[in-house]
Order: sequence, then C-alpha cells, then structure tokens
Amino acid sequence: MNEGMSWEACVRDLERSCQTASISTAEKAAQTRKHVDAQVQTEAPVPVSVPPTSLHDDPRLAAFLRRVEAMVIRELNKNWQSHAFDGFEVNWTEQQPTVTCLHTLGYPPAQGQGLHVTSVSWNTTGSVVACAYGRLDDGDWSTLKSFVCAWNLDRRGLNPRQPSAVVEVPSAVMCLAFHPTQPSHVAGGLYSGEVLVWDVSNPEDPLLWRTGLTDDTHTDPVYQVVWLPEPRHSHRFQVLSVATDGKVLLWQGLGAGQLQLTDGFALVVQQLPRNAKLKKPPRGETEVGATAVAFSSFDPRLFVLGTEGGFPLKCSLAAEEAALTRMPSSVPLRAPAQLTFSPHGGPIYSVSCSPFHRNLFLSAGTDGHIHLYSMLQAQPLASLQLSHKYLFAVRWSPVRPLVFAAASGEGDVQLFDLQKSSQKPTVSIKQTQDESPVYCLEFNCQRTQLLAAGDAEGTVKVWQLSTEFTEQGPRETEDLEQLAAEVAT
Amino acid sequence: MTEWTNEPGLCPLRSSGPRPAGLGAQAEVEETLKRIQSHKGVIGTMVVNAEGIPIRTTLDNSTTVQYAGLLHQLTVKARSTVRDIDPQNDLTFLRIRSKKHEIMVAPDKEYLLIVIQNPCE
Repeated sequence: MNEGMSWEACVRDLERSCQTASISTAEKAAQTRKHVDAQVQTEAPVPVSVPPTSLHDDPRLAAFLRRVEAMVIRELNKNWQSHAFDGFEVNWTEQQPTVTCLHTLGYPPAQGQGLHVTSVSWNTTGSVVACAYGRLDDGDWSTLKSFVCAWNLDRRGLNPRQPSAVVEVPSAVMCLAFHPTQPSHVAGGLYSGEVLVWDVSNPEDPLLWRTGLTDDTHTDPVYQVVWLPEPRHSHRFQVLSVATDGKVLLWQGLGAGQLQLTDGFALVVQQLPRNAKLKKPPRGETEVGATAVAFSSFDPRLFVLGTEGGFPLKCSLAAEEAALTRMPSSVPLRAPAQLTFSPHGGPIYSVSCSPFHRNLFLSAGTDGHIHLYSMLQAQPLASLQLSHKYLFAVRWSPVRPLVFAAASGEGDVQLFDLQKSSQKPTVSIKQTQDESPVYCLEFNCQRTQLLAAGDAEGTVKVWQLSTEFTEQGPRETEDLEQLAAEVAT
Repeated sequence: MTEWTNEPGLCPLRSSGPRPAGLGAQAEVEETLKRIQSHKGVIGTMVVNAEGIPIRTTLDNSTTVQYAGLLHQLTVKARSTVRDIDPQNDLTFLRIRSKKHEIMVAPDKEYLLIVIQNPCE
C-alpha cells in the first residue's frame, strides 16, 4: 500500500475540523428458530369477464340502439348483397412463388454411423429445430449410441454441419417433442422404452429427467412423446408417451431428476370397441401396439391413437374402465378406446388432428395411403394413395385449413391442397437424391412458411414454402366444413 | 300492437314512434340486439360503453374484451382523424373489411355498437 503523499504549497491555510457527535450504538442479535417454506407462483390470469349489466343504463342504451339500428341494418344488407370486393386481394407480405430449401442440416458423426433422422421438432419460439437420430429399419438397441442435435436458425454464423447443441444418448431416440413454453426443454422417447427430458441450453449436463428402467417403463420402443398441460395447473406440463407395448403413459418430472408415472392407459384387444371389423390378432397377443398419437385442438381430453394393426382409435383421457392387462404398473391402467376406425392395409405410422375442424383427422401408414377420418364415423371420409412405398408422417398445416404434408418412403415431401385437387399433390418436394425415405416432418407454428423434414441420410432440410401454402384464403374454414360434410354423405 | 318480424328488409325505421305498451327498456334492448344478431351472416354483436368496457355481447368473454378494447381505440382515432381534416365533420360509421369478415362500428357519444358479419362471397 502506498503511503499517502502530501505536500505543502506556500499558501496560507487555515485549519478547520469538525466531528460528528458520537453515535450511540447497541448490539442485538436475532435468529430464526423455526421457519416455514413457502413458494409463490403466478397462476394463469383469471379471464376478464364482461361486467354484469346495470339496470339503470337501459333507457339510455335503448335510446342509443333506437338511433343506430336502422343505419346498421342498412349497412348489413348492403354488405350482404355487395360484390364490390369480389376477387379483391391485398398483398401484405412478399410473395414467394416456389418452395425453396433454406437449410440442409446434418451432424457428420451421426451420419457416419448411418443413423437416420427419426424425428424433428421446432421449439416454442420457432427459432430452434431439433432432430433425433436413430434407426427405423433395424436397430441393435443394446449397442447403438445416438444423438439429439439442435440448431438455432437465428444465430449468426449458423454452421449446418455443427449443431448449436448436441446431446449424446445411450440408445436410439425414436421421437422428440419440444416443451410448449420452455424454449430449451425437449422430451425424447428411446428405443429402450425410456423417456428422457433434456435442457439443450445446458451443454454440461443436459439431462433433466428420466424414467429410468423401472417396472413402469415401457418395454418396447417409444414411438411418440407429447407434452400435455396438467389437469389442475394448466401452466405446468407433463409428458405422454406411446409405445408398441400397448401402453400410453403420463409422466411428471419430480425434483430428483426422476420422471414419475402419474397416469396410464393400456390397449388390450379384448377391450377394443367392436364397431369395426378387425383382423384376428395372432394367438396369445393381447396388447395392441400404439405407434402414433395426436390430440384434438378443440377438446383437450380427446386423442387419436394410431396402432400397429392399422386402425386408428378414438380415445379419451377421461375414460374410466380399468384395463385388463397383467402388465405391472404402480398406477392403475385404464382402457381409453371409445371408437375403432376402419383399418388401413398396414400399420399406421402417423396421425394428425386438424387444427381447424373438431372432427377431422388424418392417418398415414405403410400401405402408402392417407385416410381422412371424421371422429363421428368409423369409415374414412376419403382415402388417397400417395406412394407405392410406406408413408412415414402426415401433418396438417397450422395456417391453411385445407393443406397437409406427407413424408413418403420414396424420398419426397408431398404437399396437398384439398382446395386445388383432392387426387394428387399440389407440390412434391424431392428431399433425397437416392430415393431414401423421409421419416418425419413438422411445420413451424411461429414462422408458418417453414417446414422441417428429416430423412434416412441423416439430414434435416428446412423448406420455405411458397405463399400459396402459408396465406389463408377468405373462406377456407367454411370450405373445410363443406368438404367434411359433403364427403360424409 | 305492432308486429315485429325477423326479416331484415322489412324492419321499419325506428324513429321516435310510439313503443308498444308493456315493452320495458331492457326487453327493447334485447329485442334490438337479437334482431341485429339474427341478420344474415352476422357472427357477433356487442355494445361497448364510452370507456371501452363491453356491456352486452353475443360472443365469448375473451374475444369480446379484445374486440371492445381494440375497436374503441380505433374509433377514437378514426373520429379524431375525420375532425382534424374538417372540424365541422364527424364520424358516423366505421367499417373494416378483412380477408375473413367485415367489422362495423356505429359510434355515439356514450356507446359503440359493433357488429361482425361474414360477407357473402
């Protein structure tokens, strides 16, 4: 420490000093002897309600309505009969005439092992796309190590060969789903039957929760995971997993990194509703393997399961009948199926519920056909053959009620616009050069012109769709209703 | 007693003619709103007061609150635009045409009547 330096200049100076009066102090100590833990969390805001009408306003309100009613009725009439705006369209956004490939993403170590992209998922902000590596044809599940990779498309210097986050997983990952509100949490289902949740923003230790290999875990590969809001706390989420062992399980993350089973369903052949004619199952098998799940956007407890037998099942989370299964489980399993739909010619790989119509859903399977079903009847409303090979994924567009996309085993992504043609695809995008299959696709709900698709070569391609696929026309929802009604008759 | 029909084209002009006896103010309000709501293509009808608070509606709460707040602000802005251009002028009616439907606002000193109609195409 330096000594303070001072020097005296030849200047007259006066000395002054002041001092505060001494402060009186006292010592005290305090200690809590007992404490209570409390947590605070905001609940979802109570929806604002229209305040109750007050009676003394009515005469003035009545007078106001008397004054304006005639004018309003006149305008309503004029509008109803007007053709002034027929064919009038406004371009607010830049028009994109064709479908282009924005990014071709891949992870070389995974591609070197010959791994396929089994699932893609966009996160809640729409800026990160994650893919899961595994194998969909034959998997040696004891030794295959695989990866979950995530690319942040908004980051500058995006390197398509270098993901923003890579998670190593001891077994092949079959499915992936990003958390609906947390931008970095992602759930995945493994070939071994486990369900894991990772935090891709934490490169050191990404694993948040896992089911582990307990009695409750699936005994077969998990084909799809979905995040669902908890029944009582709608801002917290739990994970639903479906696997070919016939179980549909709901998991909750506990503090110690363990995913706990909170609820479950089991599909048993004897308990399937008998309204559709099904093939007799091989002797001895009682479980019905589930390969795909889709929840209705209109009724949060209604979901559709795609099965190995090729028939979709309409199910409800509120089903009460106990499942006749001998599989061990810490939570009583219930039988969820309410209606059996007419089957495809082979196992179903993907189902998707329409975000615009409460009764319509699509299913795609190994017979190369897409079936459009209504929840109200067992026979499909329409059956379209898209491919001579398998169809691996089908998704409705989040913005155009009449558009859906399908991933085919012939290496292309087919976009259907039911308004233009119900027989052949409007656009067929060739994803792979050597006709190796496209296994998965997802629309980006935030940036609605993006579509990600993963294929057997281990690449994820992000396609930018042309404007015709992203801008809703004026009467599309009505056209969809009309389509559902006319095809049903 | 005058007969009210539901046919919009035949609805008589309501000026200050005598009201049928026995029709209280509240019932009259309900009748008028029901007449407007049952017009061809109308999706929703609501009445908003001068502060932008909805006081009558045929839509669900969250949608109503959204429409009420946003359209109240827009009406105030539209009215000030008209009067800034010509102080002798005033806003009588506001129509917004969108891809999916047409929103009509009838403004007044104390209330706003908002009607959403799906036009014939």
